Amino acid sequence: MRLGQGTWPVCSYTVTPNAKSADGPKGPARQGDLPERAHAVLDRLAGLEPELRAAAVVSDRGEVLASTLDDPVWERFAGDFVEALSAAGPGEIDSSHVATGEAEVFLVSESGFSLVAVTARFVLASLTSFDIRMSLRDLVGEAEHA
Amino acid sequence: MLKPHRVLARKVSSYADEASAFMRRRRHHRRPFVRIQYRSGDAVELQPDAAEARQIMAAVAGLVDRSG
Repeated sequence: MRLGQGTWPVCSYTVTPNAKSADGPKGPARQGDLPERAHAVLDRLAGLEPELRAAAVVSDRGEVLASTLDDPVWERFAGDFVEALSAAGPGEIDSSHVATGEAEVFLVSESGFSLVAVTARFVLASLTSFDIRMSLRDLVGEAEHA
Repeated sequence: MLKPHRVLARKVSSYADEASAFMRRRRHHRRPFVRIQYRSGDAVELQPDAAEARQIMAAVAGLVDRSG
């Protein structure tokens, strides 16, 4: 299936795959205080990203584990966004960057979790994606060591 | 030496060029897009009128509107 291929003139970065946790969240240690850990990760991300408007951590089952907004409707849109991206193509999503006239939305998926972040327009895309990925890896690492 | 009215005409035309270039850049930067990177390393930019892009944009519009 050809969806329309394009290249774009932005800086890119390479992050080595996180080999030890490619199977998604599992095990009893990961389920307990995962929402609290996800909240802490989002707080840290908000500290790193001054232009962050809202963010959420979504599990691979589409369940919102934590979000910076206390808004169930926004969380439902976050789940819809992850679902729409998964349905858009044949492969497993690594990351996505969507821009509208007034904001940008990033998604990074790793180890069975996705982090959705809404930022102001014209943020540094590669830096923001990198911070999101590192935040997600913090969450995965903490959950595995719990 | 150029006649004064030509100097003025060149200046006006140069400002008009700058303004139109600024508008072109602005239009280009404001263009919405959906870019997806797959784990396989493939990357796609969906066409704005594609059904998949419209579905993604609908969710994104909700996210942006409710995030203030």
